[in-house]
Amino acid sequence: MGILGNIVKAIKGGANEMGESIVETQAVRIYEQEIREAEEAIEKAKKSLTGLKATEIALKRKLNGYEADIADYEGKAMQALESGQEALAVEVAEHIAELEAEKDETSTEYNSLKEEVNGINRMIKKRDKTIHKNKRELEKVKTVQELQKATSSISSNIAATNSTEHRVSKALDRVKAKQARYKDEMVAGDWMAEENDTSSIDSKLAASGIGKSSQTGNSVLERLKAKQAKG
Amino acid sequence: MEANLDDLAFRLNNHTTDEGTGFDAVLSENGVIEVVCSNVSEFQVNIASTETQLLSVTPLFLKSEVKPGGEAELNDLLLQLSPAIPLSSIGLQGNTYILFGAMPLETSFENIVHELEVQAENTVEVLDAIESLLV
Repeated sequence: MGILGNIVKAIKGGANEMGESIVETQAVRIYEQEIREAEEAIEKAKKSLTGLKATEIALKRKLNGYEADIADYEGKAMQALESGQEALAVEVAEHIAELEAEKDETSTEYNSLKEEVNGINRMIKKRDKTIHKNKRELEKVKTVQELQKATSSISSNIAATNSTEHRVSKALDRVKAKQARYKDEMVAGDWMAEENDTSSIDSKLAASGIGKSSQTGNSVLERLKAKQAKG
Repeated sequence: MEANLDDLAFRLNNHTTDEGTGFDAVLSENGVIEVVCSNVSEFQVNIASTETQLLSVTPLFLKSEVKPGGEAELNDLLLQLSPAIPLSSIGLQGNTYILFGAMPLETSFENIVHELEVQAENTVEVLDAIESLLV
């Protein structure tokens, strides 16, 4: 059973400290134990891989040596044949056969070593998967614990103020009022900015003598005199 | 990998979004950052962290605040609403209904801020939608 099953059990059991109660379960201990074992096994495997790698390199070198020797003796056997020294050629051929037998033996050893290395790598991958899978399971427990922590302080606050009815709708009203005020302020801000813009244009126009000139006592008097003259 | 909640709280306190939202962030003793977004200050967002994730949690209301007999209808509604809510999900933690989001620990500060803003907006929207089922 995965951790979710344990969580369901804890919920059904009405556990208050759900995270804590799951941590205490056998399942969690098994996951943790498996992680520890897998980590140890990987550690050991990596060490033995290092040793095997050294052997692999030595064997490979030996194989290359045999191949070079065989090629070399083959050339010499051909030369012996060409120069009509049949007996010598036979002797060289026998030596080549010996070298080939040794090379085959080394090659078998090399292949089985490679197989062993592959096997260890496969094992590491498998253990690694176990570690990740188990960590994901444990992460669920941790999440439950953290959610509980993140909820508890406010929950107790809510519980304390729960005596007041309509707690949520009152809080919502306050949020909406605040947001509306903020929006109004933004609109007011925009309006002010626009207003400032316009007045600055007006003052520029006035300064350059374009548009309405400001009324002065004299200009009013002139206007009144003109009216009187007409009348 | 452990999230540096201290640093996150510090950065939140010194940040104001383009929309003018500010944050008050306090790292509590039990390792949870309590965040108040200035645009939805009535509903606090708490941030906790696990080995791999940051969890942002807003407790919405208690089971005891649901109108008597309305629990089944409310749960049904919330389950249907949950997939439609961007970045947040609805859940139940003990006897408290919560709105929560989860982010990888590697989430950038800008994206954490975005998540918090969206969660604050979601809180108001969800509560607004189901308010009639609460006492």
